[in-house]
Amino acid sequence: MADLNVITHDILIVGAGLAGTWAAMSAGENGVKDIGVLSKVHPLRSHSSAAQGGIAAALNNVRPVEGTGPRGPLEQIPPGDDPIDSPDLHMFDTIKGSDWLGDQGAIEIMVNEAPEIVYQYERMGCVFSRTPDGRIAQRRFGGHSVPRANYAADYTGHVLLHTIHEQAVRNGVKFYAEWYCLDLLVEDNVCRGVVALDITTGELYLIRAKAVFFGTGGYGRAWKITSNATANTGDGVAIAYNAGVPLMDMEFVQFHPTGVYGKGILMSEACRGEGGYLRNVNGDRFMENYAPDKMELAPRDLVSRSEQTEIEQGRGVGADGEGIYLDMTHLGAEKIMERLPQVRELALNFAGVDIIDAPAPIQPTAHYSMGGIPVNANGQVISDAEGTPVVGFYAAGECACISVHGANRLGTNSLLGASVFGRRSGKAMAAFVLSGAALQPVDEGAVKKNRQCISTLMDDSSINGKKESPAAIAEELKTAMTRYAGVFRDEERLTLACEKVQELTDRFKNARIMDKSRRFNTDLLGAIETEHLLTFSKVIVNSGLARTESRGAHYRTDYPKRDDEDWLKHTMAHKDSNGEPELSYKDVDIDWDRYPPQERKY
Amino acid sequence: MTAQEQTIQARVHIQRYNPDVDRKPYLQTFDVPVPQGMTILDALAYIKAEIDGSVTFRRSCRHAICGSCAVNVNGKNMLACNTPLRTVLTKKNEVTIRPLSFQPIIKDLVVDRSAFWEQYLKVKPWLIPPENSGPKEYRVTPEEVKALNRAETCIMCGACYASCQVVAMNRQYIGPHALLKAFLRVLDPRDSAPAERLELVSGTDGVFRCHTIFNCIDACPKNLNPTEAIETLRKLTQRRLAFEKEREERQKTL
Ligand SMILES: Cc1cc2nc3c(=O)[nH]c(=O)nc-3n(C[C@H](O)[C@H](O)[C@H](O)COP(=O)(O)OP(=O)(O)OC[C@H]3O[C@@H](n4cnc5c(N)ncnc54)[C@H](O)[C@@H]3O)c2cc1C
Ligand code: FES
Repeated sequence: MADLNVITHDILIVGAGLAGTWAAMSAGENGVKDIGVLSKVHPLRSHSSAAQGGIAAALNNVRPVEGTGPRGPLEQIPPGDDPIDSPDLHMFDTIKGSDWLGDQGAIEIMVNEAPEIVYQYERMGCVFSRTPDGRIAQRRFGGHSVPRANYAADYTGHVLLHTIHEQAVRNGVKFYAEWYCLDLLVEDNVCRGVVALDITTGELYLIRAKAVFFGTGGYGRAWKITSNATANTGDGVAIAYNAGVPLMDMEFVQFHPTGVYGKGILMSEACRGEGGYLRNVNGDRFMENYAPDKMELAPRDLVSRSEQTEIEQGRGVGADGEGIYLDMTHLGAEKIMERLPQVRELALNFAGVDIIDAPAPIQPTAHYSMGGIPVNANGQVISDAEGTPVVGFYAAGECACISVHGANRLGTNSLLGASVFGRRSGKAMAAFVLSGAALQPVDEGAVKKNRQCISTLMDDSSINGKKESPAAIAEELKTAMTRYAGVFRDEERLTLACEKVQELTDRFKNARIMDKSRRFNTDLLGAIETEHLLTFSKVIVNSGLARTESRGAHYRTDYPKRDDEDWLKHTMAHKDSNGEPELSYKDVDIDWDRYPPQERKY
Repeated sequence: MTAQEQTIQARVHIQRYNPDVDRKPYLQTFDVPVPQGMTILDALAYIKAEIDGSVTFRRSCRHAICGSCAVNVNGKNMLACNTPLRTVLTKKNEVTIRPLSFQPIIKDLVVDRSAFWEQYLKVKPWLIPPENSGPKEYRVTPEEVKALNRAETCIMCGACYASCQVVAMNRQYIGPHALLKAFLRVLDPRDSAPAERLELVSGTDGVFRCHTIFNCIDACPKNLNPTEAIETLRKLTQRRLAFEKEREERQKTL
């Protein structure tokens, strides 16, 4: 084909957040020279930069002051004193947080590698906050039984991402900034490359690689109230699914308890970690009734449900009673300015409230995607319950499901997971490439097929019926997902969600864009992203409808109990020949001697 | 509903330009209903979704941390995502949005930032750690972190760069964003190449070009202080040798 642009790399990485950048760094350090990293936004704009609160690791730098209780002040641990934390404790907290759906082997790897990777960030230049004697500062976070969130004030993700990006550039990694991955080429369970669009020029490329890695981030944009960046449209998840790869545990989506009221923009959990209170319209700290022990620092699924219950029982705040107050006025200006400067600014800008003087109205917000592309602990994508790998395809970070987060992720474990498993994937890919992997033949027709899809989106004459706007379809989807597949779910709501997603998917066939130009066409990208939202939302609602139990973030009011008998298993969804999700199940990796399932109480 | 809460109508003028088809940039006007709390970015998104899908701009995080969305509003550079639209409307409820200055336009509000990033790379933005790297963290005191003056929180949005009168006259100038980065690394007690860095920024396109006009400070949406950072680098360049000795001693106790 004359007009076929072809690029080849030993390793092609899609996504330049923490997962993708670590994968690139470590593949390079393990001997592969020819690595390309593609990102639809400039690498430094990746959503990892939005993470505020911290990255978990049992460093044993601080401890609670004795006798001051679970919300009391912290002090540095003097040299020689007994440690209070350990990878084992971190592991247990993570398993409990996951409501026993986390795979324990993978969790063990993550917590064991945690201290070393945090130290490595520090030695690469991360500007962490510090204890008086110069160690990395730590704070409390929900679901963690000791303070182990290592932080840089409240812009931890920002400093981690900038640091690792700078080091990757230093190491000579090649970045393709503002390139959009459209399609993944898998045939006979072997990955061959991708089709990508250079956004600036509008040119399509076939990129062939011996190994392809996805670190494309989460899928929180399918909800109306969300903390996620506009880029978090679950592209990688949808693209992989369309290429025949299954998706795992998609029904598990975390709703964070403190999004700015009406906007969803995140007010970090560090607000509560530093001592903030949640209050209802009567001024009561209602968590007393739901988690008397951990109070505001119970895990996110529980706190969000408690808030939603208060709201639904008429004790909410705000114009329509859909909010709750996050009260930090007792913390004092000095502490807020030192530890939560970004949050203060956010509340000023987006809620019009100075948290030093007044409580901020907040509400649960779609936040983290526990489900995704199933992988093993080396980042290798698997295609079935037996763990058969898709040769040459790897993934890590929020788009992947290992699963270390199970049914509910603990805060600060995702920056950690993206880093640890991004790095492991890079190493595994390097071993794969250096063991003699070759470029595989590809179907060049794939580029033509993608070009055709783009042309159709621009071609008003091909409409059969009423023309639809992709943006309007996306809005309707988000409203439906918020209403029917949110904090509380049941059969009726999820059935309505299935119907709505189907209706919108049908209507999308007539979706056409207004911008017909080639150059930097964000109208086109928006339409493609909307299609992705529809694709994976269908999997979410079907998986959620099938799972007749409540576990972690998936809460069914018609099945309010966890059901280990029937549901201690991962959902796997394949796209069948009619384009419908076909569900099967995979065992959870549990160490029955050490961490058998228990009741989850806080 | 109080008057404050009412939706008002705004006339939003946006500079449009697609070099493939337009001879030169022009302004197009859109009527936008402005509910309480609408940001400039919300208004752009409204226009794109409801009126003209071809209006093109960058954005991602929506909360002033990714650095994508800086634009020129009524002649001042700012982030679209954290600026309430009402605060920039004229008495006649109008506002004019253009791309950041001094950079080639790719389309509408999207500029080609190649030069911006090249300058950033020129200062070697990465930390160059010392050799004596132990298994744990380097010890850095809270005071030493404080001395960095939050330079590590720069989001590389380019608002300062596009406001700088020196950049306007000389595109070779390293620019406030990159010099702030250089300051961060030089002041970081862990860095082992401050001399090389000071050398890099002390040339004709470096710190001595800054005319201390303070535009960068006004423009910075994160309230950072590039001017002061540049000032510090200047002083350090002047007393470099003594400074290096001091650091050598300090690194023995990291
Ligand atoms: C507001 C907020 C605060 C958070 N705070 C914390 C915290 O304190 N601690 C914690 O542990 N976790 C936190 N998280 C979660 C954590 O930030 C993310 O899970 C993590 O950063 C994901 O990293 P990633 O590398 O997987 O993906 P991202 O950083 O999201 O990167 C995705 C990359 O993929 C690219 N990409 C996507 N689709 C395409 C495509 N089609 N073509 C080309 N490129 C593509 C993007 O350009 C981007 O580079 C927070 C999340 C949010 C939303
Ligand atoms: S959208 Fe990220 S800084 Fe404005």
